[in-house]
Parts: sequence; C-alpha cells; structure tokens
Amino acid sequence: QLLVTADEIHIGASLKGNSTKFTIGGNAYQHSRVNQWTNNVVEQCLSQLSKLGKPFKYIVTCIIMQKNGAGLQTACSCFWDNTTDGSCTVRWENKSMYCIVSVFGLAI
Amino acid sequence: MEEYHSGDEVAFNPDEASNAVKECIEGVIGGVDYNQNKVNQWTASIVEHSLTQLVKQGKPFKYIVNCAVMQKSGAGLHTANSCYWDTTTDGSCTVRWENRTMYCVVSVFAVAVAL
Repeated sequence: QLLVTADEIHIGASLKGNSTKFTIGGNAYQHSRVNQWTNNVVEQCLSQLSKLGKPFKYIVTCIIMQKNGAGLQTACSCFWDNTTDGSCTVRWENKSMYCIVSVFGLAI
Repeated sequence: MEEYHSGDEVAFNPDEASNAVKECIEGVIGGVDYNQNKVNQWTASIVEHSLTQLVKQGKPFKYIVNCAVMQKSGAGLHTANSCYWDTTTDGSCTVRWENRTMYCVVSVFAVAVAL
C-alpha cells in the first residue's frame, strides 16, 4: 500500500513539475503576478492529482520567493498513518525566483 | 456520558489550533534574531511542538504542520495552498508571525479520520 501511495505521489510530482514549468517557466519575479502564479500552480497540481482517481485527500502548497540573497527555511511535520499516507516536495528555480511545491496525500 | 450524541463529526477548530501554534512559535523564536546556523533547528522545533500540542487536543484528526522562516531582506515571498478534502470536517489555519529580522509562517492542515 505504501508503494502504491509513493508511486501516485511521484506521478503527481512529475505532473507538478510540468505544471510548474508551464505556468511560470519563462517569467521573471513580478510582485503583481506572483499571486496568480501560486494559485495556478496549486490548482493545476490538485486537478491533475484528483484526476488520478485514487482514494486520497490531497493538500498542495506552493511557495514562491524572489531571489535576493535572503535565507528561507521550511519544515514540515505530519501526524498520519505511515502505511498509507505520504508526501513529496518539488523545488524549482529560475534566474529570479525559487518555487517550492509540496504535495501531501492522505488515504481515505 | 454525553447527553449530546449529535452523531456528526467534530469539525476542525482553527482558533484553537492557531493559539497553540502561536505559543509554540513564541517559545522557539520569541526574542531572537535570524541566525542561519540555527534556523534549521528552529523550524524543526516549531513543527514538532505544534504537532504535539495539536495531538494533545485528542481530536480524531490527521495533521500536517508546515513552517517557513524567512530572513527579512526585502525579498518578496508568496505562498498558496489548495486542498482536496471533505469541507465539512477538514480544515486548515495559517499563522503569520514576525519580528525585526524574520518572518515565520506556519500552516496547519487537519484531515478527519474516519472512525
């Protein structure tokens, strides 16, 4: 069951990788548009994941940070069923920004 | 025994969770300045303590606690979350905290466990 979960999440991750690139791939960080980008990324990821039709609830989070030398640290702690639930994180960057997307899948 | 056996599931209480998380953040990074060597430890402590407090509430939920600490240097940061779950029982809350040198954003997601 854990393997199946991990596979689904990784399929989600590669879909996520594609949707991240598709949405913001060629752009430079723009304060006025970043809101739209984060929303698009999470929505697209979520719809790809729900299309998989697996018995999971999903949480997708996305962080976009402008590159200017600031430090950023994120951590995550989860209280769930280790045999069926899982997560994965995708880090992406271009010249002007970092994008971190995390997907959590919880079995129903 | 309870008089009210309402039969419906307990819904997530974001205020309670939010207060528990705020205390944890204050406890870990309350009076300190951003320190690259320690930030790793801080985020780990914040998520662990928050999770422990939430689990202590004894509600039938699975939890995910996410914490981001960012140095204040003028950079822009934007976060978004999207969730595919049962909106009647599941929920989330986000706590934003800052001091002179850093921002801290903690998100809690609670997913009901089918009993």
